Amino acid sequence: MSTDIAVEVQNLTVSYQAKPALLDVSVKVETDQLVGVIGPNGAGKSTFIKAVLGFVKPDVGKVLINGQDARNARGKVAYVPQRGAVDWDFPITVKEVAMMGRYQEIPWYRNPTKKDQDIAMDALAMVRMTDFAERQIGQLSGGQQQRVFLARALAQGSDILLLDEPFAGVDAATERAILDVLERAKNAGKTLIVVHHDLVTAAEYFDKLILIKQRLYAYGPPTSVLREDLLSEVYEGKLRIFADVLKKERA
Amino acid sequence: MDFLLNAFLAPLQETYFQKALIGGSIVAIVSAVVGCLVVLRRMAFLGDALSHAMIAGVAGGYLVMKLLFGYEAHAPGMLLGSLLAAICTVAMIGFVSRVSRVKEDTAIGIMYTGIFALGVMAVSIFRHYIHIDLMHFIMGDVLGVADTDLWTSAFVAATVLSIIILFFRHFQMTTFDPIMAASIGLPVLLIDYLLTTCVSLVVVSAVSMVGVILVVGLLITPAATAYLLSDRLDRMMMLSALFGFTSVVGGLYLCVWLDSAGGGAIMLFCTLQFLFVLAVAPRYGMLARWLRLRRMVPQPVLEDILTTTYRHGKTATMATFKEFVDGKKHLNRALSQLVANDLLQTEKEGYSLTAAGEKEAEQVLRAHRLWETYLHSIGSPEQEWHETAHHLEHVREEGTIEYLDDVLGHPQQDPHGKEIPAKQP
Repeated sequence: MSTDIAVEVQNLTVSYQAKPALLDVSVKVETDQLVGVIGPNGAGKSTFIKAVLGFVKPDVGKVLINGQDARNARGKVAYVPQRGAVDWDFPITVKEVAMMGRYQEIPWYRNPTKKDQDIAMDALAMVRMTDFAERQIGQLSGGQQQRVFLARALAQGSDILLLDEPFAGVDAATERAILDVLERAKNAGKTLIVVHHDLVTAAEYFDKLILIKQRLYAYGPPTSVLREDLLSEVYEGKLRIFADVLKKERA
Repeated sequence: MDFLLNAFLAPLQETYFQKALIGGSIVAIVSAVVGCLVVLRRMAFLGDALSHAMIAGVAGGYLVMKLLFGYEAHAPGMLLGSLLAAICTVAMIGFVSRVSRVKEDTAIGIMYTGIFALGVMAVSIFRHYIHIDLMHFIMGDVLGVADTDLWTSAFVAATVLSIIILFFRHFQMTTFDPIMAASIGLPVLLIDYLLTTCVSLVVVSAVSMVGVILVVGLLITPAATAYLLSDRLDRMMMLSALFGFTSVVGGLYLCVWLDSAGGGAIMLFCTLQFLFVLAVAPRYGMLARWLRLRRMVPQPVLEDILTTTYRHGKTATMATFKEFVDGKKHLNRALSQLVANDLLQTEKEGYSLTAAGEKEAEQVLRAHRLWETYLHSIGSPEQEWHETAHHLEHVREEGTIEYLDDVLGHPQQDPHGKEIPAKQP
């Protein structure tokens, strides 16, 4: 495994008035990894996303994308939105969504070229959605919908993908299908940062986990992050559930 | 024949009708195209707000041009004034909903009525300087389109359509996924303002034709009509433009034939057009929805047919089904679906189960008898067992039956002494 750093967060503090959303967070995400970001509600996960996308101005510290400041690295991180954030009735086809991944490369005065078309179709092929290219996105199953947005992220050509709760609200079979696509993307040399809420599956799905609640509690392989003492500190008072998680983890 | 020809051709020879047709079409087409974005962004109320706010701008523009330069009813001046008033309104709506707990829809309501009121006051106070017919403003007058109005609307239409075509991808992306748009560095806020400006321009040029009250309809109704028919934004815009155009043509004929108000006729036609499409649209229409629902056979009916055939022995006839299966209206479709799925086969006098059908029926029966055993075990009265179990036997998913089987300790017989079929893998 190479040791290049895809995303480097250095002493990042972001605040809203007196309340810090993130406090002194430092993480180095190596390339070709499937990394999960976990933490309770209100832990600053969405601020973390915004910071990596370069939307927020940090109070202190910085976020580097392939060594470049995130705020100047627009389009270097491909974003996959939460299912709930998408208007599935929008008049747009699967192919057009994939094509959106190319928009950052196309100047406003010209149309997408054949090459852009090919890249978009290749991305769809990679997630096995070629047959659905002309479908409106609302007519797909949950897993297919997620795959379309992954194709869009792949078409962007960025090496870093940021996914916001891709497993929220899908059934177990779909969850497996999505994971399969994520792993294929990883094997194709992408770094994936996935915001995830389900601790039970976190250990199984990810190479590394980032546990945050305002500050960084742990970063590393699941076995070193999903420790009883850490989890009880982060998820105060809800330990009973995690006892099972940990048992499962040891088994 | 002559009569028909006359009805359609005679108005076309009148200058006022020609002007109304040209002016109305230009305005309707461009409104319809911009309206698609308005509908998809759920900004319909904004169109209403802008049209009302306009009167303050018109009065202001009129007054300034007259007092400073001595122009009477200077069209570009009034257009600019309207635009400024519209942008002010949008800015104030944004401001109020940002700094207070008042939500956006309320802020829109407050601001547009306030600015409308300001405009009405200005027009009545300065009635000796400016000559604006409030009634005309509110109702519009498509049949009295002046040449300056025509030129203004043609100019507006050309500008707005060029902007939409040039920046189509930008509008599409900021509407569909603003976060991604921002992440690749599109100026999302600027594009929002550009769209608001386009909407304001369109509204301003349309008000003189159909009036303040109806202009929002011209903006959103053709777009909503097209929305029911299209799965792509570019097609939606083209269809919407077509519907805008047909509304004006249809409405104007309606207006001369019935001798009614022009703006009203156009909007009425537009609305009827929408209702028609709503009824018959192939995928998102009501008829299509109704047909889809009708085609769906409820699972209980399918399962009842299988168990009825199973209990009946070899061949079950139509009469048997009619007697034992609820949901008679689905019967024919259910039977053909079961045959198609290879669970039933047709015989001379009726239907019999295939091997797969028999297995399936046994599983339903197993569910039925386990439910009866369960009802017995929780002490419900015997006369209710069958009926309740008949209802519950269709509840089989998510390991329900295995759970019952475990809880009841894998019984071999139901409380009536009948054998419970074994679980099929």
